[in-house]
Amino acid sequence: MPYIDNARFDVSIIGAGPAGLSAAYILAKNGLKVVVLERGRTPGSKNLYGGRVYAKPLEEIYENLRNEAPIERWVKKERFSIMSRGELFTVEYSSQDSTSFVAYLSKLTNWMAQKAEEAGAVIVTDVRVDKLYLEDGVVKGVVSGDDILKTDVVIDAEGVNRLILERLGLVEKLNPSQVALGLKQVIRLDPVKIEARLGLSPGEGLAWLIIGQPTGFLPGGAFIYTNSSTISIGFVVFLDEACKRATKHVFDILEEFKQTPTIKNIISDGVLVEYGAHLTPEAGLDMSPPKLYSDGLLVVGDAAGLLLNLGYTIRGVDFAAYSGYLAAKTILKAHSEGSYRKENLSLYQKLLEESFIMKELRRHRGISKILKSSEVFTEYPEILISMVGKLFQIQDSSPTLIQALRESIKGKTSLVRILWSMFKMVRAI
Amino acid sequence: MSEVKVMKKMKIDEALNANVWDVDHKPHIIVDYEKCRKLCDKRICTLLCPARCYTLTGGEILFSYEGCVECGTCRIVCPHEAVTWDYPLSGRGVQYRYG
Repeated sequence: MPYIDNARFDVSIIGAGPAGLSAAYILAKNGLKVVVLERGRTPGSKNLYGGRVYAKPLEEIYENLRNEAPIERWVKKERFSIMSRGELFTVEYSSQDSTSFVAYLSKLTNWMAQKAEEAGAVIVTDVRVDKLYLEDGVVKGVVSGDDILKTDVVIDAEGVNRLILERLGLVEKLNPSQVALGLKQVIRLDPVKIEARLGLSPGEGLAWLIIGQPTGFLPGGAFIYTNSSTISIGFVVFLDEACKRATKHVFDILEEFKQTPTIKNIISDGVLVEYGAHLTPEAGLDMSPPKLYSDGLLVVGDAAGLLLNLGYTIRGVDFAAYSGYLAAKTILKAHSEGSYRKENLSLYQKLLEESFIMKELRRHRGISKILKSSEVFTEYPEILISMVGKLFQIQDSSPTLIQALRESIKGKTSLVRILWSMFKMVRAI
Repeated sequence: MSEVKVMKKMKIDEALNANVWDVDHKPHIIVDYEKCRKLCDKRICTLLCPARCYTLTGGEILFSYEGCVECGTCRIVCPHEAVTWDYPLSGRGVQYRYG
């Protein structure tokens, strides 16, 4: 890290993602000397997610988010579908009010980096931090190759692959039950076509979740988000279930989904401009390090397992950014007290507990387990589509709802079992 | 970086070619083929690596790091610890613009 050797920083932050940069922004704004170390060439170049951000927590951090951030479209339509045999059963919700927007995380992160730099933070890219630097068991900086950068306190915002925390022995190696794999293609398309094909008014955004066939019936779900002039399409599958059940390559599953008539019509004439993949934390509190603070160290964002997947919605970026914000508040307080020992940094845990983050994670704890263990992704889509098909595809006689259901579940499952798993799920969500 | 029409089913290479890359000279992931050969019959990496960096050639695993999107899946799903995994150095690898 040649050009920062002579500088003296109070705080070093590992990773220029939403969590690390939000921490950097608040710290720098309050006069602390902050350096963010990013392995990518530019902030955002290694970030990837589905496509939607919930705005409120971010607006607490970035006052002018609405006017300044690179927002593609505000979500005015929520669509949820179950797909089997190429047939869809859809529920849609439209509203002129919107609490979330679609954005490219690469661009949003880059904007956050600008904000942090304007506030006085130093962002150094092309630097891969390998481990933490310790003195007598106390974190006193970071190590990259042969270089040591000493700072009073470190924020670990390294993301879901927590190599640094693993090397420190603070967490065990990730296992497939703790994460999901997300794949995404970004397809450029004329905005007029996007809006016409998806039933949107000019500028309106859509968030669409589809379960069943799109993932090859692997537990998880596909997503479609509308950007200004692209469509993001992909899916997320629970990795442990994928390990057990996958019989096809994940990319081919996505390609087959794109070939279903409904989707094919939507993306027709489109041009693929990017394909990527990323892991996402799924186990929430069950994958957090035992403590999110220790002497000289705070852990934020995905590295801390702070992500909530309720099946119909995923909240990661707002959790990450807000945890960075709370870490910054903690450090400012500790700075005024003149010590970064764990007694001072434990405030972070307290602030997290009082915030929506821990409340949400506790309220929905275990949800991904329930989702995974049910037949919601495997048997039920087929049953539901078959039942709805029987109701609408009328030949001579029209069946009653219960007749249609009975016929559709014949030989597959029982009504009682379906009701039981619905009950479990409704209770957890 | 070369863009692809989405009309028909794409091959993985076409999709990866749409990306901006700055591939490192040396691999950031090392695979212990001995372990693949001796211990593994399931070869789940060949189905779950989203960039298809793991392929079967003549019944043997072949790994190439060039198209790696650095997701970390192989490190986690390999049941035999055959994958030594790190991020590429100094900004190399995939360069997401629309992540």
